[in-house]
Amino acid sequence: MAARHISRRSFLNTVGLGAAGAGVAFYGPWKHNHVYAAKADKSLLIGFTTDASGQYGNSGEMERRGMLMAISEFNKKGGVLGRQVETIHIDTETTPATGTRVAERMITRHEVAFLMGAVSSGVANAISLVAQRYGVVYFNTNSSSPTESGKDCHRVKFVWDGNGTNFGKATVLNAINAVGKNWVLFTNDYVWGHETSKSVRALVTQHGGKIVEEMIIPVGTRDFSSYLLKLQQIKPDVVNTAVGGDDIKALRAQVGQLGMGKTPAWVQNQQDWPDVYGLPLSGVFGIFGTTWYYKLDLPGVKEFVAQYQKMYPGVSIKVPGNVYYNGYMATRELLRAVERVGSTNNIKVIKELENLKVSAKDRMQHFDAYMNPATHQMQQTVYLATANDEAAWKKDNDDLFKVLAWSKPQDVEDTDAPKACKMESYEATPSYEM
Amino acid sequence: MRTRPGDMGPSGERSDRVDFILNLAPHLLNGLSLGFLFALIALGFMLIIGVMELINLAHGSLFALGAYVAMVVIAPTASWGGALGAWYLTQPIAFRYVLALVVAPAIIASVGMLLEVCLRRTYGKDPLYGLLFTFGAAMVIEELIRIVWGSAEKFLQVPQAINGAFLVGGLIYSKYRFFAAASALLLILLVWLFLERTPYGAMIKAGAHDSEMVRALGINLKRLRLFVFGFGTSLAAMAGIIIAPIWGLRPHVGVDAVIPAFLIIVLGGVGSFWGAVIAGVLVGLAVALTAVYVSEWSLLSMYLLLIAVVTFRARGLFGKKSILEV
Repeated sequence: MAARHISRRSFLNTVGLGAAGAGVAFYGPWKHNHVYAAKADKSLLIGFTTDASGQYGNSGEMERRGMLMAISEFNKKGGVLGRQVETIHIDTETTPATGTRVAERMITRHEVAFLMGAVSSGVANAISLVAQRYGVVYFNTNSSSPTESGKDCHRVKFVWDGNGTNFGKATVLNAINAVGKNWVLFTNDYVWGHETSKSVRALVTQHGGKIVEEMIIPVGTRDFSSYLLKLQQIKPDVVNTAVGGDDIKALRAQVGQLGMGKTPAWVQNQQDWPDVYGLPLSGVFGIFGTTWYYKLDLPGVKEFVAQYQKMYPGVSIKVPGNVYYNGYMATRELLRAVERVGSTNNIKVIKELENLKVSAKDRMQHFDAYMNPATHQMQQTVYLATANDEAAWKKDNDDLFKVLAWSKPQDVEDTDAPKACKMESYEATPSYEM
Repeated sequence: MRTRPGDMGPSGERSDRVDFILNLAPHLLNGLSLGFLFALIALGFMLIIGVMELINLAHGSLFALGAYVAMVVIAPTASWGGALGAWYLTQPIAFRYVLALVVAPAIIASVGMLLEVCLRRTYGKDPLYGLLFTFGAAMVIEELIRIVWGSAEKFLQVPQAINGAFLVGGLIYSKYRFFAAASALLLILLVWLFLERTPYGAMIKAGAHDSEMVRALGINLKRLRLFVFGFGTSLAAMAGIIIAPIWGLRPHVGVDAVIPAFLIIVLGGVGSFWGAVIAGVLVGLAVALTAVYVSEWSLLSMYLLLIAVVTFRARGLFGKKSILEV
């Protein structure tokens, strides 16, 4: 397909400018200025492709809040390039087919400048296919399948969360050395679950461990009794769970009820905050990965939490977590990139983002973060955490985690992703400017 | 060398067959307990379909609403009632739990009756109207739950005596799960007794069989339908209260209930009480056993079971034979 360098919008602008220029001769210079004034007056529209229902409805709501907070910060300072930022949100229902329809509608009907949001990797992949077709820059804020920055990478897509391989590298070796070599995998039956388990399997085998069983957990499973009974019969050393959303909540509650939180050892590849918030401490067992925690003793964290609580006083999740944080950071960096390039031209923004570096202080993490230009995934600090001590939790029921360790982005980078990622060229990506 | 199945070998090894049975037994027990829970979910749904020939798609949302109301009855968060409220909160959880089991279904029954009154205009018309109305009601109830309680996960407290785990044969089981299955079984038996041994139960069964004849015999059909709808929705609430501590409590948890309920009714035969119970047990066994041996098929197994049965017996296991059937 030939690259489309002139969009309908830019063509009309050109014609409009031409007509205005012609009109200047008859009506004076103010007509020419009016065209620019009209463009500067037009707000910048961002499409939120986040889930409001289904498996990841809760997480979708949190990441949307993070995005809105970032946008409100910019709008208070006058917007971006003098334009206020507006948003449109349509529920992607944690369903890839809906994600496709939503992306298509937002691009063709609402003419959004950018698309943001996803927790489910299946939905993110579906959205990115549409986005690439039109050249619309898309931020995969919270989905974590290694394939998102691997074989399903796209020139227009940027991945903001750690993925199964990053978290696996942070957790697997520690767990083999500390606990044992016989592992069972719990795998949510969709792309993130399968790819994460595949990556964990490779890491376990690489470090001398053995996968004795893999149990596939269909998305929407509520009753884990059969799996937990079988687990007791197998008696592994470690159970690695690549289970998310409502499923992991149910699993954690049922493991807690059985008192199985200590034996076997549980490794949850990545634990999203909305999936665990509100659980009793007995439900927060094992070790797990995350990209941020609200109690990190780092500059800016307390203020960030206070800002969240001020902006969202009545919400049920009283403190922000990694999902909110990723939504906020992704949006902030997008708008900063647009400001730096001085344009909404998608190719310019993409090139700017590919060289992105953000300091640890600015990220409120322990190490500097950087964009991998070969995969478009943000490389960042990965934290290992476990359930907090009971005494600390009793003082503050929100303080569920105890952060055990943190890894440098370089130490947990997914080194296979660049080989798998075959991004479209700039020329093959349609160009536009809103 | 082993001589017969079950014989211990010379070094004390059990045969593979015995090992298989010993490994399978806990899963069979687990499947049975899950089956009773599924049967409980389907019971109220079955009653309403049987008597009113109406598919109540709000069944799942009422299941969820019942659990949320019970949560408030057990552990109200807002300060209310002054001294009475303070006294109430000092009462044991067991007392509040039992109260919730009575109060919450009664409240949901009232909601159900209100729904039935609104549904009356659809009687005698295209069944799609009733279906769409209950579908809309389901959406409204779910959104109301979200508005009042938010979308984050909530928990239904249960008495300590039925919380925790116990060990049998080296395996840990959940106390609450067995309590839930036993409660489901008890409720099923109570409903059966009500239908079989009481005059009102006889009216309900007669209404399910031939509502016009029931009306011709002078029974107030309007009142019967109102009662049945309230009864059916209260059973949905009971199921929600009993199952919420296992499945978790969130606004859309009703979807996890209404789809299996519908499937169980069709599998068991529309309008058949024991059909619903046996179908529920079969679904529970199918889901539990496939989770162990072919885990990726566990949720699909109930649909495969349905296809397998209705392919050869369209009316379900215990459904009424149509005059068109040879």
